[in-house]
Parts: sequence; structure tokens; C-alpha cells
Amino acid sequence: MTARHAARVTLVVFLFITVQQTLMLQLRIGAAHPDIMILLPVAAGIVGGPGRGATMGFWSGLVADLFLPTPFGLSALVGCLVGFAVGLATIPLDRTSWWLPMTTAVLASIAYLATYALLGSILGEPQMLHVDLTRIVVVVSVVNFVLAVPATRMVGWALPEVSTEGMPLSTAGLR
Amino acid sequence: MAKPRRSRRPRTTLIILVLASITIITLDARGGLDSLTSGVKSVASDAFSPIRSGVDDVVEPIGSFLAGSVHYGAVRQQNQKLQDEINHLKSQAQQSQQTQEQLQQITALLHIPYIGNLTTVPAEVNDYNSSNFAATITISVGRDQGVQLNMPVVTGAGLVGQVVEVDHTTATVRLITDGASSVGVLYATPASPNSFASAVGQGAGKPLNVDLVPSGTTLATGTVFYTSGLNGASFPASIPVGTVTEARTGLTASQETVTLQPLADLSRLRYVSVVLWGPSS
Repeated sequence: MTARHAARVTLVVFLFITVQQTLMLQLRIGAAHPDIMILLPVAAGIVGGPGRGATMGFWSGLVADLFLPTPFGLSALVGCLVGFAVGLATIPLDRTSWWLPMTTAVLASIAYLATYALLGSILGEPQMLHVDLTRIVVVVSVVNFVLAVPATRMVGWALPEVSTEGMPLSTAGLR
Repeated sequence: MAKPRRSRRPRTTLIILVLASITIITLDARGGLDSLTSGVKSVASDAFSPIRSGVDDVVEPIGSFLAGSVHYGAVRQQNQKLQDEINHLKSQAQQSQQTQEQLQQITALLHIPYIGNLTTVPAEVNDYNSSNFAATITISVGRDQGVQLNMPVVTGAGLVGQVVEVDHTTATVRLITDGASSVGVLYATPASPNSFASAVGQGAGKPLNVDLVPSGTTLATGTVFYTSGLNGASFPASIPVGTVTEARTGLTASQETVTLQPLADLSRLRYVSVVLWGPSS
């Protein structure tokens, strides 16, 4: 990754955390608010494959953890797992199709939140399984469904071209 | 022809990142990274405070407009109601109800009856729940105002929670309803005037569960529970915590099932006070 791409990725992560910490915390439905930081590993997994998805999930998760009261490093752990899984699951799919980011964002959001709550409870925060998970999943999934395409385009702009992970990634469409 | 093999690099990357994450979580949980993570968190929060307030200033009017469009029916009804209220208020003192409520809340914070000689710092509530998985609030005072970790936070009505993160200008408070919160409480019954128990949070918006109330204890609905302030307690003594909403005994249970409604209205906090008190005080 060149310095230019590193700067772009930093810019995108900064933009996402700013929007999350300002607009998204205000958008409260019941006791739940959207979590657009999940979109970063998802988008990186789609446009960059499992390795890039995992790396993006780790670093963006660490940044998100700076602002969360939950165990430090938990978002990074779940983010890298989800980014890797998205990258792996979308290898055989046509990554330029319009529906892929939206569908993946919803499924990945559900997987992310369930894994987050489960791992959090295992790591000494049992109350994380006693939240209204359905409401949180609905709010997070709906917002991530809507923002999946712009997020994928932004991450596609930030990340360098990929040709080493054996997937037929078209340079058209998402890039 | 040889079958094409998929690169192993992504899998190695994942294993390294998972191990790194688990190491960070473990070190943080054991306190090994405490000073580092709390320092970095504090810097990040300090750096974000001006950005957050700047963006809030810009988007608040837009948000209000959008909320108004989404809730058009409710807003119309509310508008009519407010119109009536305005007419009513005009005939009296032209003082808005909201301002009066705010004034009452702030005045109540200046004269909290149960605090005694302890010093308090009033604060405004900036945000609710920075995580979907924790019941917390962010308040507008921090280290610069003398706030430190584990200090209790109250309103005029009762206990709100405890400071769990603090930076220069803001602090994060874990509400007593959070699942990780446990408060040592004291209650009185006709049979036993000083009985101790533990009030445990069940999540945002849910009542507290009280542990350690012996089976057969008679507790009337509305009985007030106070912080116990026992040696080494996390809160000073005699702060009202909540009132009993339900108390029953299971057939084979060794203790009463007691639920407690917090006295402070935790869903609509606007102003709170941090008590400058630590467990060692």
C-alpha cells in the first residue's frame, strides 16, 4: 500500500468515525443507534478481498474502540473476523453487481452484532447479551443497507487495486 | 494441468490480527494497557470534542427539520397543544415551561439534600449510550473540573451512576441500570431497620434487580433503597437509589425477588451533578 492509499484510508476512517460520533449518535430509535463503522470491513472485504477486509476491520475497530465503553479491542477482533468472512464469501460472486454491497451489509451487520454481543459476554461483560438485540440489529442493518453503496465506493477509492488474492475483481463498477 | 491454489496470505493476516486483538483485549482487561488506552482514549475524546460540537451546531437544525417532517402528524398535534399553551402562558408571566423546568433541575442540583458537605460539580448531559451494548451518558465536565474515575453522579432525585471514563472536558458515566452496574444498598423493614443488599442493573430502561434480600422479608411497594456506604463501597452513604416496584418470594427461593425503579429519571436526564468523592474519601 502506497503512502497515498494509506492517507486515503485514514481519511475515510476519520470521516466514518466523525459521522458515527456526531450524526449517528443523534439518530436514536428507542435505545439503539446506527453503527456505520461496521461498513468499513464489509466494504473492504467486498472490494479488496479477505486480507484487506480483515486489516480494515482491525484498524477501524481499534479507532471505534477509542470511543466505546465496551472492552478495548473487541471491535477490532470482530471487525477483522467479519471483514475476512465478507471477503471470503464474496469471492465467487460478481462484485460489480449493484445488490451485493447492500445484501452483504445487512447480513454482515447481523453477524457482527451477534458476534460482538457473544464475545463481549464471554470476555466478562455478560450484560451485552441482555440488550434488545433485535432492535439494535434492525436499526443498524437498515442504515447500513442504505449507506452500503456509497461506503463501498469510498473504500474502493481508498484501497489500492487488488490482484493477489485470486478473485476475479473487476476494475469497473465499484471502483 | 495443476489446480490453481489460493494465496495463504489473507489467512495469515487474519490469524495475526486475531492474535493481536486478543492480546490487546487481554492486556486491557488485566490493566496492563490501562494507562495507555485511557490516555489514548482521553486524547481522542479531547480531539473530537470541538469537532463534535461544531458538527452538532451545523446539523441540529437540519435534524430538527427532518424529525419534524417524519413526525408530521405528531408535530401538528403538538403544535396545536403548544399554541394553546402559549396562549395560556401569555396570560400569566410569558415564561416558557421548558425554561422553568431547566431552572428547577439546575436549582435542585444546587441544593441536593442528601449530599451533606460533599462538593458537587453540575454538568450537562451531552450524549446517551455511545455503545448499543452499554447504558452510559456523556457529561460536559471532566478532569479540568476535578472529576475523576469512579466518582458518583446524582440528580436531585437520586443516584444516576458512576464515572467510568474521564478526559479533560467530558466524562462517561455508567448508569445504574447498566448490566455491569452493582450498587450496595441499605433498606429498612419493621423487623430489621438496617438491612444490606445489592442492586444490580439489567440494561437501559429496565428496573434494577435486588440481590441478597432474605426470603420472607416484608417489603412494601414504594420502600426507598439508599446507598449503603459500607467500608470500601463505591458510593457514599444515604443517596436514594430507587423504590420497590415488586417484591415476591418463590416457593423454593432462598431470597426475595425484588425489583427497584430508579428514583432519577434516567431516560430524560439533562443536568446531573458529579459528587467529588472517591471510595478512599
